[in-house]
Amino acid sequence: MEPNPRQTRLELLQGTLDMLILQTLQWGPQHGYAIGQTIRAQSSEALQVETGSLYPALHRLQKQGWIRSEWRTSDANQRAKFYRLTPAGKKQLLRERDRWSQLVAAIGAVLSPSPAKD
Amino acid sequence: VSLRDWFWRRRLEDDFDEEIRSHLHMASIDRMRDGQEPETARMSALKEFGNVTLTREAARATWGGGWREALASVARDVAYSMRLLTRAPGFSLTVVFVLAIGIAANTVVLLIAKGLFLRPLPAVAESASLSVVVSRSTAGKIGGLSYSDYRYVREHDGGFSGLAATSMQPYSLGIGTHAERVWGEAVSGNYFDVLGVRPSLGRPLLPSDEVAPGRHPVVVISDRLWKRAYGADPSVVGKKILLNANPMTVVGVAPLGFQGTIVSLVMDVFVPLMMQRDLDRSTRLYADGGARASAFLWGLGRPTSGTSLASVGAQTEMLGRQLAANEAIDDVSQRATVLPLWRSPFGAQTYMLPAVALLGAMGALLLLIVCANVANLVLVRGVSRRGEIAVRRALGASEFRILRLLFIENLALAVAGAIAGVTMAAIALPLFLSRSAPAAPMRVKLDLSADSQTVVFALVVAAFSAVLFGFLPARRLSRADLASTMKDELSPRGTGRGRMRAALVAGQVAISLMLLVGAALVMRSLDAARRADPGFDARNVGSMALDLQSSGYDEERGRIFYRRLLDVLREDAGVEAATLAAGLPMTLVDNASRAFAVERYEPRKDEDMRFLFNIVASDYFRTLRIGLIAGRDFEQRDDRSGMPVAIVNETMARRFWTTPASALGRRLKTAGGEWRTVVGVVRDIKYARVDEEPRPHVYLPFWQQYVSTMTIHVRARESEQKPLEHLRDRLQTLDANVPILDSRMLAEQTRAALSIFEMAARWLLIFGLVAAGLAALGLYGLVSYTVKQSTHEIGIRMALGARWSDVVGRFVGRGLRLGAIGAGIGVIASLAVTRAMAAVLYGVGPTDLPSFAGAALIVLSVALAASSVPAWFASRINPVTALRQR
Repeated sequence: MEPNPRQTRLELLQGTLDMLILQTLQWGPQHGYAIGQTIRAQSSEALQVETGSLYPALHRLQKQGWIRSEWRTSDANQRAKFYRLTPAGKKQLLRERDRWSQLVAAIGAVLSPSPAKD
Repeated sequence: VSLRDWFWRRRLEDDFDEEIRSHLHMASIDRMRDGQEPETARMSALKEFGNVTLTREAARATWGGGWREALASVARDVAYSMRLLTRAPGFSLTVVFVLAIGIAANTVVLLIAKGLFLRPLPAVAESASLSVVVSRSTAGKIGGLSYSDYRYVREHDGGFSGLAATSMQPYSLGIGTHAERVWGEAVSGNYFDVLGVRPSLGRPLLPSDEVAPGRHPVVVISDRLWKRAYGADPSVVGKKILLNANPMTVVGVAPLGFQGTIVSLVMDVFVPLMMQRDLDRSTRLYADGGARASAFLWGLGRPTSGTSLASVGAQTEMLGRQLAANEAIDDVSQRATVLPLWRSPFGAQTYMLPAVALLGAMGALLLLIVCANVANLVLVRGVSRRGEIAVRRALGASEFRILRLLFIENLALAVAGAIAGVTMAAIALPLFLSRSAPAAPMRVKLDLSADSQTVVFALVVAAFSAVLFGFLPARRLSRADLASTMKDELSPRGTGRGRMRAALVAGQVAISLMLLVGAALVMRSLDAARRADPGFDARNVGSMALDLQSSGYDEERGRIFYRRLLDVLREDAGVEAATLAAGLPMTLVDNASRAFAVERYEPRKDEDMRFLFNIVASDYFRTLRIGLIAGRDFEQRDDRSGMPVAIVNETMARRFWTTPASALGRRLKTAGGEWRTVVGVVRDIKYARVDEEPRPHVYLPFWQQYVSTMTIHVRARESEQKPLEHLRDRLQTLDANVPILDSRMLAEQTRAALSIFEMAARWLLIFGLVAAGLAALGLYGLVSYTVKQSTHEIGIRMALGARWSDVVGRFVGRGLRLGAIGAGIGVIASLAVTRAMAAVLYGVGPTDLPSFAGAALIVLSVALAASSVPAWFASRINPVTALRQR
């Protein structure tokens, strides 16, 4: 029997979901369901996006002007609401990635301190 | 919750429900593709989705509350800025005060413009939409219409919904046993109807009051006259009053505030124009010579709604051409033409226009200084707020939110400034006007009360300035982030910010120099105008206007009276010379003019042969000390039994006979009059205004041209202390009942002719000095700020042995350098624009060196003073304390 997926999944840090959504949309417009699936697939199933967080996040990003939405028909001939990255969203993504790498570096430095220089 | 809000929410919810449905649908299809049964797939998709209601709630929370929420958030910002501003009362009060000055200045300009152009006639609704119909000679000279011309235009012109006629007339009003001069209008019967003015008592004048000459002895009086002369007695309606000794029945009292249609002048009686010939009997010269020649009226009406003034004008001008073709005009070819009321030559408007335009420009410049000044204050305050803003940014406030917060703060300051400014203007303007009221021969009154429009204007100006002064500093602040702020706190001074502040201060200096140059030019014009030789000597000359007709003198008895009066006065030890004249010089408005014919001179087709004239007794030129160039003065023999004679001025003599001497013996006549021989040529004087061009002028002898209302001119000896009272005493020994219409010293009268320069000069000087003061404030603020920032550095320098003069020199040098840069820019800018001031300049050029030098001197002294004080403080710094700082 497989281990319970819930135990191996990681809780998303506050604020990182927005970045992941923007990152996902960088490759082209997608609807909500596909965004969730993509994040899960690309994290090798490690990140499970709760729809209860995904949709509020999408609406929030839209309100900020970082993404736009429109109803379209998908390749599979399904009517769905597609989200698309705006130029402002692209800039925001860059900023968030920057901040993320600083955070990672800082936390990394704390967890494995290099020997004191003086 | 509003209905629109509700619909907006409903749409969002429906949209989201559909999104959820589409999500579930796709999830089930994916699962079915993996081999699940449709029902299982649907259940599993639903399960994976989780709590739909919770998701919906969470999504809903991100939508916000639409405009309602936005409004609440703005309200929070407003409340926050209010709290902040009351916590820094010094800053807030300074900004409000400085803004109030700028707004007050512009409000004053608006109120004057309003009184003259936008709402020119008190108590007349939409008076700015009125137009006048006048005649324009081919030489471009504006004149009146004759009654027949007016009737023709009124009956044929469809461009006006109604066309009234009016003219301004002096009357002598008998009150009890004496008489006084009142001004009034002789008007057509539809006058009140066209204006839309209803009397507060009795009836208006009606078309039935315009049927036949001399048949309508009725009058409407002003509310002011009713209260002043008749004690607001309602039974005055129906009573008879004496106008120019003619009994006239009062039929109505005009409403409160109504002062006629001559902008800024107060008219007290309104008489049917059909009565003018009867009332004017004493000066019948004005009316003889055919109906069309006595063009004493002008039309007044509202263009029909929907027609442009241009098309009305075209139509009226066409009528004017028809008229000219129907009845060849004997004197000068002229056309009816339409002008908006604000361009009418009858009233103060056109005469005040250049001064008001100049004031408007100066007001705008002053506002710019105010904005630069406030921008500096806001910048300095911003420095202390950078920490707060940076924390806000770090906590996630967007640049927009911070800009909005700062803008709301500036707007709050601006609104307070607007209220203070309007209050300031409303208090200052009447005080100022009461001090500057010119000693004009008639009452001048402008409606300068502030109204809701004024307040709106002030608020718009305030909002505009808030954007102007608040934008740059706010932009800089909103970008502040924590890290660079922390770093900057440690550096001695922010150099970039310093440059912007320096530029703002230099700009203030430049603009204040421009304002001072403007003020100086106008002051020097005023000075030049005061010194200008008007061609006559007004000192020690008393004048007294009499009305013989209203005390029952006919022409024969009047001649005897005037002759005896002159005899008595000339024998008086206190009198150097005495004479009579029909008109006074330099009253701002032209005296009467008439068309003249010159013997053996064929006027060109369009030549304007209408010249000013005055009726004077002998010794007129000696009394006023007007130089006689050729020939002789009028003498006793120039009476009815003698040869008809005239005296002309130099300009007239040169125009028709090339030299003054050759003018003697030549002849001229008024239309319909007899040939008069020129017996003398006198120097030109200023007839109406200081800045007028030389004009031909004719003098006619009183004894050949009797007028019952003459003005005595008496040149008193230097020893005579009270010439007017003395004159009055002598007059009353002759006849105590002769009404004195007006009595004043001629010098006082001529001073009124300078009022245009005086008003402009006074306001410009105030604007200029306020501007220099504000620039000084800005410079002081900048230098003292720099000193404060450099305390540490000063400490080090002093500790290392710098003398206090070095320290002072450094900061004064910086202040002066800025002052010089600003002054340089100001001089260049002034050179570029002062040419536009030509209309209000007299006797000085637009590049007048003393004006520029004086303004630069003031600005540089102010810069020196403003930077010396903080520099001196800097030199007093104790090096030990200074080094301990930080």
